[in-house]
Amino acid sequence: MYAQFFGSYLLSRNAVTPVELKEAISHLSDSHLRLGTIAMSKGYMTAKEVDEVCFLQTREDKHFGEIAVERNYLFDDQLNELLKSQNPDYLLLGQNLVDMGVLTNERLETLLAGYQKENQIDPAAGGDDIPEQTTELVRNFFFTSDRTLSDLMVTYMNLIFNNLVRFIGGDFTPLSPAFVSEYDTNCAVIQRLTGVLPLHSGIDMDKEAAIEFASRYAQMEFNEFDEYVQASLEDFLNLHNGLFSVNMSNTSSKEAELAPPEFTENRSVELSSNAFVVPVIYPFGTVYLLLSPDN
Amino acid sequence: MKKNAKILIGDDSILARKQLKDVISEYMEEPVFIEAANGKEVMEKYDSERPDLTFLDIVMPERDGILATIELTKKYSDAKIIIVSSVGTKNQLRAAIEAGALDFVQKPARGDLMKQILEKYLGDN
Repeated sequence: MYAQFFGSYLLSRNAVTPVELKEAISHLSDSHLRLGTIAMSKGYMTAKEVDEVCFLQTREDKHFGEIAVERNYLFDDQLNELLKSQNPDYLLLGQNLVDMGVLTNERLETLLAGYQKENQIDPAAGGDDIPEQTTELVRNFFFTSDRTLSDLMVTYMNLIFNNLVRFIGGDFTPLSPAFVSEYDTNCAVIQRLTGVLPLHSGIDMDKEAAIEFASRYAQMEFNEFDEYVQASLEDFLNLHNGLFSVNMSNTSSKEAELAPPEFTENRSVELSSNAFVVPVIYPFGTVYLLLSPDN
Repeated sequence: MKKNAKILIGDDSILARKQLKDVISEYMEEPVFIEAANGKEVMEKYDSERPDLTFLDIVMPERDGILATIELTKKYSDAKIIIVSSVGTKNQLRAAIEAGALDFVQKPARGDLMKQILEKYLGDN
């Protein structure tokens, strides 16, 4: 989940525009992480050294690691470690932005250090997401919005982001939450939870986004907005809330009871006083997460 | 396995019903599907069609799958009901079995598991 939140970190620091970010995200699946980017994130090489080796590569037909070791920018054991290390996807996102000319290596170096520090990400830990670490990521993400969420709500949000990665795809960036008391839906599915965390939870998007969202979820090709697309949205939300309930019953022996998900279109919905909306940008459109905890 | 077996699928999601029909059709000869989109319809369709096997989702409008199971097994002691749900907490599983369901299948239903279920409850023996 680091790539998703690194994107929102970059936006919050005005390092990229939403359009640039969207383009960098859309290329995530077809790019590879270069050694220099990882070496920089681990602090083995500076941005200057990386740029120099990249330049030398245009002169000499040698691998990046070979040149870096020759110049004493890297030790042999560091190079071996880098070659073996996992590739965190947020680095790939940063690298894409360098390739697009949006960021320099130097600026990326600074931003990476800030992001890792803010979220207590251990650069040596490789690319695997650790659930507790993504919880911190989610907590920090909401912390900037001047309201703090309850631990249970952070757990809930952490799960929904993880479920988006798992069932829809990781090529998204969440934008800062907006606190609202009323919301005009496009194509929305809303489900009521009672029990451990009483709230109304929903997803909303336009029809085009819904068709692609559904195609990804059901792993079927949909071309128009029909009852299957609607059912896919409902199933995703119901699955997510069901997983939340199962997690809760396993960890705290409390459960959430779910009412059937309801579809609503072009309607103004009243929300509770501490409700918020999180826009999540996918290449195919924006998915709005609606959260309205019962007062 | 019984040919032309009548299978009732109770799920409010048309997508979930289609996915279940697709996987069942892989293992059965010309099954006859009866669909219900809520708990009330499940009761009505069961009364009129008397299916050989019934698959019910837990979260459904009107009457949830557990409640429908209780009512069905009370009325029809030979009702064969399988709960199909994307998730099931321990309490829900216990409630389903206590209500009289024979088995529980995780959604999306895996082919090999579905084959076992069909053989077990619609087999020749």
